[in-house]
Amino acid sequence: MGAKLEANEEGYQVEADVELTLTRTLQDAVRKGVPLYFVVEFELRRGRWYWLDQTVASEFRERRISYAPLTDQYRISYAGISQNVSSFEDVRRALSRVRAWTVLEKGKLRPGERYDAALRFRLDTSQLPKPFQLNVIASKEWDLSSEWYRWSFVAPTEAKP
Amino acid sequence: MIRGVLLLCVLLGVTLIGLLFRASDNNTFFSTHYPWLLGLGVALIVGLLALVGYQIHSLWRKLRGRVFGAKLALRLMAVFVLMAVVPGGLVYAISVQFLNRSIDSWFDVPVDKAFESALKLGKNAIDAQLTALTRDATEAAAKVTLKGDDIEPVDLLRSLRSQFSVDEISLLGDDGQMQAFVGGGSRAFSDKPSLAEISDTLKKTPVRIAESQADRSLYLRVVVPVAGSPPQVLQMVRAAAKDFANDVAIVDGGIRDYERLGLQREGLKQLFALTLTLTMLLTLFSAISLSFLLSERLSAPLSALAESTRAIARGDFTKLNPVRSRDEFGVLTQAFNTMTRQLAGASEIVSAKQQELEHANTYLASILANLTSGVIALDERLYVKTINKNAEDMLGITHASLKGSKISAWGEPLPSLAPFIEDFMAQLVSLRDKPWERQVEYEATSGRKTLLVRGSKLPAALESGFLLVFDDITGLIQAQRHAAWGEVARRLAHEIKNPLTPIQLSAERLQHKLASKLPEAERALLARATNTIVAQVGALKSMVDDFSLYSKSARLTPTPLALNDLVNDVMVLYESMNVRIEFQLAENLPIIHADAALLRQVIHNLAQNALDALTGVASPTLRIQTRATPAAAETAYVYFSVEDNGAGVREDVLSRIFEPYITTKPKGTGLGMAIAKKIIEEHQGQISVSNVRPHGARVEIRLPVNLQ
Repeated sequence: MGAKLEANEEGYQVEADVELTLTRTLQDAVRKGVPLYFVVEFELRRGRWYWLDQTVASEFRERRISYAPLTDQYRISYAGISQNVSSFEDVRRALSRVRAWTVLEKGKLRPGERYDAALRFRLDTSQLPKPFQLNVIASKEWDLSSEWYRWSFVAPTEAKP
Repeated sequence: MIRGVLLLCVLLGVTLIGLLFRASDNNTFFSTHYPWLLGLGVALIVGLLALVGYQIHSLWRKLRGRVFGAKLALRLMAVFVLMAVVPGGLVYAISVQFLNRSIDSWFDVPVDKAFESALKLGKNAIDAQLTALTRDATEAAAKVTLKGDDIEPVDLLRSLRSQFSVDEISLLGDDGQMQAFVGGGSRAFSDKPSLAEISDTLKKTPVRIAESQADRSLYLRVVVPVAGSPPQVLQMVRAAAKDFANDVAIVDGGIRDYERLGLQREGLKQLFALTLTLTMLLTLFSAISLSFLLSERLSAPLSALAESTRAIARGDFTKLNPVRSRDEFGVLTQAFNTMTRQLAGASEIVSAKQQELEHANTYLASILANLTSGVIALDERLYVKTINKNAEDMLGITHASLKGSKISAWGEPLPSLAPFIEDFMAQLVSLRDKPWERQVEYEATSGRKTLLVRGSKLPAALESGFLLVFDDITGLIQAQRHAAWGEVARRLAHEIKNPLTPIQLSAERLQHKLASKLPEAERALLARATNTIVAQVGALKSMVDDFSLYSKSARLTPTPLALNDLVNDVMVLYESMNVRIEFQLAENLPIIHADAALLRQVIHNLAQNALDALTGVASPTLRIQTRATPAAAETAYVYFSVEDNGAGVREDVLSRIFEPYITTKPKGTGLGMAIAKKIIEEHQGQISVSNVRPHGARVEIRLPVNLQ
């Protein structure tokens, strides 16, 4: 997994590549009409020696995977935009890539200060239909949450206008 | 405490079951916490199991300890548990069966087939449209290949678009570069084809794709190669008819839902079974635990009653049970309390009566003990029941030796009683029920006694039996005898004394007148006779004086007196006698108060008696002795005794020696000892006679130092 936080005109944006393996069970579930929700979570904290860490930003992005049997297409929907792909591998590829995700507006960070960033990718099992909840408890196959990926980030001094 | 825990468990259980059923809805919150809810349910069940285990353990302990009511509690508990388990288990089994069956019934082979066919049908329809579009696209591609250089690609595409009635048409290079594009309206249906699609297309596998959109629209997209150099690709996009797109979306959705259901089937069954099982176990354990509580509650009054019964058996009547319920147990408890109160009252009365009786007995015993008469109570069979102290003293017997023995058998251990008993039995036989009275001579160890015995039969209304009351009247009889003798003596003295002086005077006168007139021989006779008369009259006079002295109750004129001096004074008169007299006079005798003349008389009498007893005895000896009680003694006495070594006193006389006219001497009035006794008693003293060894008699006088 690799991720970074960049400051540009839009603000602070996350770019990440997640190592993702989607099991056969998941593919079957999708093909049988069970929509899957994948969530990428991002957190930015500022360490404080005198108190608990301050959470500067806490964002998440949810992507829904569904399948249309007649047209044999997978659909990845995100915030009203959807994208059709033909193979499950395309789905995996699409999911593992996070690009231009604006997590913080410009000027929200103190220049030169050090921040701790963390990123995590997981399957939101709570949005699975009820009967699958038991499977989630029983089997590891459904546990698709990654560890937090952490890195530190020093806010750049005011970028050139 | 247990009730609280159970209540908490049940409340939690109900809430949990509610939440579990809510969680079956598609609700994010409950589904997120579904594992927690399950865990909580299991924890609750374990908790309830522990509670039930604890209750079973405590009930077992009670059974082992044979606590009253525990068996009833066990039986009630068993019934309750049976009532909970059987219907609960039945409902559970039926529910699980029913659920499995109904879930399975959703899935049917014909329905499966129908969906399969619908899928195939839909795919074919789309495929047909795609094939048509591909044909159009291939045709269009051929036209693009043939177009001359003079025609702008955009213009060509525009004419092709209208010719083939497609929505979008675009021409791209093999590097993916868009060369021309004609679209309708404001928005594009699709992105440009990807490089992968272009390369596929160029390898003669045209791309045919039907893409449905979120707004239920459907568009078909094909990419075909355009022959030429460099190679190009043509993409045509045509939106499907609205109705068709709609149908496709519906079929899509239907198939998806159905398949999802199929996938969920087992999970659904498990979910329902799990929820049902949790519910069933919670209900069951709650019911069992509740049944323990209920059975304990129902059997509690029994235990309380048992406890009270034990208390009553111990004699504790204070334990009353509070009446808590209004049912039959309450009525029973109330009745029990009433009974306890009544018992308490009865036992109080009994103890009061007992105390009264004891008091009466004590009173009676004290009366009997203080009675001067002797009392013997016999039962019907003549066994001794009670002997009072005086009776024991009089008869010289002890209660312990004779109680419980028959009165007719008393003769054996106590031979001296035998005549007394015989007499008594005879009276009993002859008189039966009538009271009788008799004077009985009884030879006790302390001397002969005269007893006045009265016997009577106790009235049959009481405990029947016989009562003997006897008084020692020895002293009374003696006093009577003394009084009688006194009277006789007084009269005799009076009657005899009067003529004595004239007799004496007459005799003296006779001698005086006649002596000178008579011859010598007769004169001597006269003198002798007269002397004899005078002497005898003198003797008679002294005898009469004795009588009157005895009969008179002399007036004491006590003066301080040294006893030894008096004794010496008197005994001087006897020194000329042919008798050896030994004096053993104690020194430092206290001065006593006594009538000296009377005491002198007593000493004379005793000395005379002793001398009389010594007549004809070899080496006659008289021993005179005085002594005093030790200084520490309570009452100070002085003793005086006269002892001779004569023949002693005959036993039959000894007991009556102080009675008048009891004498062993040939001459004498027999009043000497009687007078001595009278005088000594008037001095509040005592006189006693006893024989000494080897032979002789001893008389001892005891006089108090201080007269009262």
